[in-house]
Amino acid sequence: MIERRHRRAAFLAAAALSSTACSFQPGAPELHYSLNRAEVEKNQQLADDPIAQTKLEGALQMMFGTPKAPGFLVLPEWSGDKFDPNYWGEDHVHADAAAWSALVESNRAHFRTQLAALREGRFDALDRPRFADDLWERWLRKRERIAKDGPDAKGDDGTLREDAIRDFEEYYPTLANSAAFYRNQCYHCHGTDGGGNGTTGPWLNPHPRDYRRGIFKFTALKGKARPRPEDLFRTLAEGIYTTAMPSFRRFSDAQLHGLADYVRLLAIRGETEILLESFYDPDKGFDFDVLKENYSDVVGRWREASEHYIAFEGKIPEMTAERIAHGRSLFSTPGEKGGANCVSCHGPAGRGDGPSVWAPGKEGVEYAKDDWGNQIQPRDLTRGVFRFGRRPIDLYRRIYAGINGTPMPEHFGMTITEDGKQRTMNESDIWDLVFFVRSLGSQTEVASAGGAGHEGGAR
Amino acid sequence: MAALKHFLLRAFITLLFLAVPVLGVWTFVEAKDWHLWFPETISSYGGDIDWLFYVILWMVTVTFIATELLLVWFVFRYSRRDATRATYTHGNHTLEMVWTAIPAVLLIVVAFSQMRAWTEVKIHFPDQGPYTVQKPLMEIYASQFDWRVRYPDAQGNFEGPDVIEVPYDITVPVDTQVVFRLKSRDVLHSFFVPVFRLKQDAVPGMAIPVWFEAKKTGDYDLICAELCGWGHYKMAGRIHILPKDQFDTWLAAKRAALYATE
Repeated sequence: MIERRHRRAAFLAAAALSSTACSFQPGAPELHYSLNRAEVEKNQQLADDPIAQTKLEGALQMMFGTPKAPGFLVLPEWSGDKFDPNYWGEDHVHADAAAWSALVESNRAHFRTQLAALREGRFDALDRPRFADDLWERWLRKRERIAKDGPDAKGDDGTLREDAIRDFEEYYPTLANSAAFYRNQCYHCHGTDGGGNGTTGPWLNPHPRDYRRGIFKFTALKGKARPRPEDLFRTLAEGIYTTAMPSFRRFSDAQLHGLADYVRLLAIRGETEILLESFYDPDKGFDFDVLKENYSDVVGRWREASEHYIAFEGKIPEMTAERIAHGRSLFSTPGEKGGANCVSCHGPAGRGDGPSVWAPGKEGVEYAKDDWGNQIQPRDLTRGVFRFGRRPIDLYRRIYAGINGTPMPEHFGMTITEDGKQRTMNESDIWDLVFFVRSLGSQTEVASAGGAGHEGGAR
Repeated sequence: MAALKHFLLRAFITLLFLAVPVLGVWTFVEAKDWHLWFPETISSYGGDIDWLFYVILWMVTVTFIATELLLVWFVFRYSRRDATRATYTHGNHTLEMVWTAIPAVLLIVVAFSQMRAWTEVKIHFPDQGPYTVQKPLMEIYASQFDWRVRYPDAQGNFEGPDVIEVPYDITVPVDTQVVFRLKSRDVLHSFFVPVFRLKQDAVPGMAIPVWFEAKKTGDYDLICAELCGWGHYKMAGRIHILPKDQFDTWLAAKRAALYATE
């Protein structure tokens, strides 16, 4: 039997537990985009002026909406070339026949139970698909009409049933829907604003990407261009191996395109915000011309992304021992001796342990940082793990254009010295580097002969 | 009046206890309609695993119903009554022997009847087909938080520039004994394909051989069955089973795509 005083203690403990349980209210927090504090602090005039900050928040909301209702402000001059950033992704995918048919195929697989129910006339048996509230609402409206007029009544483009089937097959999520999907799948690492500051973010290495600078590491583009929709889609579909970014293939193509669209909105919003913050001038304030100029500049940068595509026509050259040896020589010759200088970061054996990434500082070793302030870790090329694809063409583009936001430079056109002559690096040189890098991770005879060291190369 | 009240209370408590076996059995009877039961079995050894499950399930069901009914009867029959006195018993040697011997025999039956299935799934790997432990079809890498499959290059090497790596989709031929190596890049994961009735932990530092033979084409779920970190819930994959000739075409296309330039 419990003694009386113990009984009282037990009662109090139970009361305390139940009262905390009752006071816990899990409701969703109010969602809003916040200002980029680090950037606000950089501009003292803005940092000291809370009213200007509020104005900036309002201006950004006018241009990009809120997390619950995101949307781009459409500038009048875009109407001429029929450009509406709110349908940017959809228009882009629609224009590419292969991508569009892949999207339709993927929707057919994703909604197969709903489509079967529609074809068999079981209109009340449709399951509500996850993360597609916009589609579901459209269907509910159509179902009302079907209940009233029957499935074979005339719809907008064929019968009502055909319309409904097309809605599912050609589903492309709205920005608002993708934003909700983003909050479900991406938010806890990448944060509401895409600042890479979600709750899980600090615990990850490498850190989740901060989209707000518009810099994305992995694209098929040169000239530090903003990514194309395909580049973002590919990152979502393939994931980034050996980081916490998984492959999201389990969702449909349409959902991933939608996420890419929303990431683009966050990136454009962030970049516009940084521009407005760094060029804030109290005399001008945030009048519409200032906003418009910065906004259309940033959007323009994203629109022209495809022009920076690194195309490679023709067949990839044969990987020969001579080419690998030439690649090795470019790789291991330091910059001051006219080489491609890879060795300074990636190390003599390609293990990512070169001398340039760290230096003795005042308080111990200081490591090089990337544009986001994270410590640089050059790739260990011997492991055969390449974060954005291991195809020869992927490595080619990495070496050709470098990696945005990191010290990995653009190699195409880099000046090198060979046989006492100065020249610029061409496509063939880049392929030789690709072949050498590819041989590092393998046990092929070419790579193992003499090791990957500076001296051992078959010159 | 008091006697009636007492009887009603006894009846109420008895019914309360009776509800446990009734609801318990009912859940199992209805499980299929509630989509709570097993998915279909499509692997060669899935039937054996299910058979073992049913053997044990029936043993447990009979024991469960018998003991529950006994309990209910005892609750009703021996509830406190004012007129009777409790008696003291030393126990019954025969009864104790019986209820020790029967479970022992059942456990031995279970232990021996599972051995064949265990050896088939985990010990005797196929050595006649195109894929063996020495020459597996693929390597599957688990990492926080996705699955990646690696197919060897044309020479059969699993390392080197021409191996094929695919996230999420694990494509295999139907009606073929598929052997693969299971590896982990970071922590413990578990490769679980419900329709195969196959579950195998992935352990960092180990290359664990696993095999299955799919009897049906289609797409099926692969999930991680070992809590592996904060993203465990999203660690899903898909087993994509193709007819043999289509599989060969698919693999050849993947090899060619490695050298694509788009």
